[in-house]
Amino acid sequence: MKRLLTVLAGALIATIAPLAAAQQQGVTPDTITLGAYGPITGPAAYIGLAGRDGMNLAIKEINAAGGINGRKIAVVFEDDAHSPTRALAAVKKLVEQDKVFAIMSVAGSNATVGTIDYLRDKGAVMYVSIASAPPVTWPFARNLFRGGTTESARYGELYAEYLATNAQNKRIAIMHGREEYPRNEAEATIAKLKNWFNIEPVARAEFNINDKDFTSQLITAQKANPDVIAFFGNPAEAAIAMRQARELGLKQPFFVGSNMVDPSLITAARNNAEGVTGFSLIPYLPGSNAPEMKQWEANWRKEYPNAPAGRPNNFDLLAYGDMHVLAEGMRRAGKDLTTDSLIKGLEGIQNYRIGPVATPRTFSNKHHIGNLTLVPMQVKGGEWQPVAWTSKRESDILSRYQ
Amino acid sequence: MTVTLAFQLAIAGISVGSIYALVALAIVIPFKASGVLNFGQGEMVTAGAYIALVLTTLALPYPVVVLLVVLVGGLGGMLIERALIRPIIRAPEFTVVIATFAIGLLIKYAIQLRFGDSPAALDGPFGMDPLMFAGLRFNPTSVWIFVAMLLVTLAVMAFFKYARLGKAMRAVSINAEAARLMGIRVDSVWRWAWAISTAIGAFAGLLVAPVIGVNPEIGTLILRGLVAAVIGGFTSVPGAIVGGLAVGLIETFSGVLVSSTFKNLVPFIILMLLLVFRPYGLFGVADAKRV
Repeated sequence: MKRLLTVLAGALIATIAPLAAAQQQGVTPDTITLGAYGPITGPAAYIGLAGRDGMNLAIKEINAAGGINGRKIAVVFEDDAHSPTRALAAVKKLVEQDKVFAIMSVAGSNATVGTIDYLRDKGAVMYVSIASAPPVTWPFARNLFRGGTTESARYGELYAEYLATNAQNKRIAIMHGREEYPRNEAEATIAKLKNWFNIEPVARAEFNINDKDFTSQLITAQKANPDVIAFFGNPAEAAIAMRQARELGLKQPFFVGSNMVDPSLITAARNNAEGVTGFSLIPYLPGSNAPEMKQWEANWRKEYPNAPAGRPNNFDLLAYGDMHVLAEGMRRAGKDLTTDSLIKGLEGIQNYRIGPVATPRTFSNKHHIGNLTLVPMQVKGGEWQPVAWTSKRESDILSRYQ
Repeated sequence: MTVTLAFQLAIAGISVGSIYALVALAIVIPFKASGVLNFGQGEMVTAGAYIALVLTTLALPYPVVVLLVVLVGGLGGMLIERALIRPIIRAPEFTVVIATFAIGLLIKYAIQLRFGDSPAALDGPFGMDPLMFAGLRFNPTSVWIFVAMLLVTLAVMAFFKYARLGKAMRAVSINAEAARLMGIRVDSVWRWAWAISTAIGAFAGLLVAPVIGVNPEIGTLILRGLVAAVIGGFTSVPGAIVGGLAVGLIETFSGVLVSSTFKNLVPFIILMLLLVFRPYGLFGVADAKRV
């Protein structure tokens, strides 16, 4: 009898143990633990701090509405200081030590690229809200998704078409930062200007993040006598460059990358921002008078009453919208939440958005590029206003996923 | 390159070099007096910019803002020296240097917590519309930075040469123990050295903010300030100024003559070459040793 009981106990343990081991990491009966990372220190902290706050606001709303299929969301956040090595260390910690279910990235491209190879190997889902670095979605990886921001190549398509056709610019000078995101934007724009419109930039000058003087780059541009100066960097750099451009007598308009289509550019550059154009990833910018944006901002300020000037910014909105998309993917995965079911849940999303403050996301089992839509805008009267312009060219991007 | 372009580049180089010179000066002073290399000086510049940002919202006249920024910067330096540096002054040199680095980070993160990361703008006292002279463009704020830098330099040189406290600082920098034996209150000298250097750092922040904007990353200027201080000779006040202007000019001209890619590299190449031939910098002097 004693022997029989021992054998039965052993059989029971042998049955239960693998089941226990097979339970999805980061998922318990009442909690889903997500990992998240982004720059909350360093020169790109304006991205990560906003991304974290926007994400947390969405999580609060989701949990207040009952969570995801009876589970509340908890999040562990790590700082990557805009560094790829720090981002990799952060993601490894989240996956291996904190045992999170999935990763939400509110990091910039420079840091995100450091995590791609590791996550491709590990298979954990990463949902990227802000980084446009190409390796997130190409080559295709089942577990990597890109939400609010779009592909670098798509930026290039839209920027090139707008620059070449809207203002008939033929002489385009490009100034860009050396790190991942601005360099990718610049190269994608240059590639499409050449391939679609047979236009080569008349000048190209690089700068480092945190540079305080752009005289030499502007003089290089000035010597080429451009019709427009396309500037890809950060708002602080753009503000200095725009001021110095006027001091040097350059009257050419500026075109900026989408991360600068944000009220913070106007705050920093003041009158020098007037007339600047760019493309926005969100339908309404913070500060807009649209009723939906006013309501969203009111909710945001209630949550963050001591926020500094310049907040909320675009990254608050992007991460907010994308957290709701990730949550929708988890909801569609059902009660049996696993990495596989989450991937299927996300891939079933078509034109989903939490509300008018976000652009819709669409994924499929062939591509994970959630957003190909950008809105052209221009600074008029100290505010970003939409510009009446629509792209007439079909994107080349999705064809490689067929 | 045309003559006009060369002069315009020189103006730009001197403008940015003046900023580097002020940071270098603020590094040289405490080093000269106490032998401590203050890696937190860059964040004092940042703090000065933010103090100015807050004070301008009170619509105070510019001279009052200058006075208050200098006072707050100086008091901050005194507090840092008394509370954080003096207790560890006898620790190994490297420990003290790391401590200054940590202090700088504390200041920076405190600023980030309070003000966030979005850049802000600050108006200069003379506006930003360029002045035209002989076909050249001058940013009035940059002109003011250059003039202020010269005035501060002259004041500091006069201080070290004629003021009792300045002479005491020179004595302490040569031999603190001997100075103590001569009746000089070394602790007081160190405190004032820190106060003066942080006051200059904060003043530099007020000056440069209209030109480079206000954001928590202003402190990265310390890298250029250090290069300028080393080029000038680490204990030389005029050397800090010459070094700062040299770095500004080299950067600006190399950005056009070489490429913008190498603009940030060239000053460091020049620095290494200079140190090979003049290890004590342009104006530095090797310590004499009795044999």
